Amino acid sequence: MDLPEPLHDFLLVFLGSCLVLGSLGVVFFTNPIFSAFSLGLVLVCISLFYILSNSHFVAAAQLLIYVGAINVLILFAVMFMNGSEYHQDSHLFTVGGGITLMVCTSIFVSLITTIPDTSWYGLIWTTRPNQIIEQDLISTSQQIGVHLSTDFFLPFELISIILLAALIGAIVVARQ
Amino acid sequence: MMLEDGLVLSAYLFSIGIYGLITSRNMVRALMCLELILNAVNINFVTFSDFFDSRQLKGNIFSIFVIAIAAAEAAIGPAIVSSIYRNRKSTRINQSNLLNN
Repeated sequence: MDLPEPLHDFLLVFLGSCLVLGSLGVVFFTNPIFSAFSLGLVLVCISLFYILSNSHFVAAAQLLIYVGAINVLILFAVMFMNGSEYHQDSHLFTVGGGITLMVCTSIFVSLITTIPDTSWYGLIWTTRPNQIIEQDLISTSQQIGVHLSTDFFLPFELISIILLAALIGAIVVARQ
Repeated sequence: MMLEDGLVLSAYLFSIGIYGLITSRNMVRALMCLELILNAVNINFVTFSDFFDSRQLKGNIFSIFVIAIAAAEAAIGPAIVSSIYRNRKSTRINQSNLLNN
């Protein structure tokens, strides 16, 4: 999105801090309802991040499907299955938790140190020149529609079959 | 830079999702952490698609496929969890040994 530079940076820092705090809340809140709402905050922030990176269709799909469907479904699941369980669920540190924390921190640190070392700008000149031929007169949503109906047609249909099978399976499992 | 910010954010979401998925004892919370991991994958797809492939946008299409798979998973997961909860009266992960007996 073509915003002025300070506004863009401010939005990026704001969304990043919301993402960091919200995902910490998803993992570390003791009440699952609070962590489900925190997940909703994270998903909304990710959708705004997609808008910042020029992908409006994916942002709309994220907002509709993740926030509107998946998060509401998870909230229903939490509300159906609440018990007096979260009092025992307080995070007392065990050996497994410490090992997991160490492993995840090492994954994160190795990724963080790898990302600035890679020369992304060397890659961009190898991919840019053959895209000049492509037409760029239509908007991005039209581009996605054209791709979905021409060269990604078979995966699109397979996705619909998978969704149908998953919904029927969910009804069969949850019924009784 | 937009690319590296997106990659760092997605690395953060991925690692904290892995941590929550392994250490959580509640099944619904494990599902939430799984959503976090899928969102990290989506952020990677969209960021690379915006940066390297801004004419063709194939990364956006793959992220839409990932969103559809996540929707299917989020329909199946709570159904299984509620079925386990009906039999066991509990959603703790370490008590779900229904295949055992």
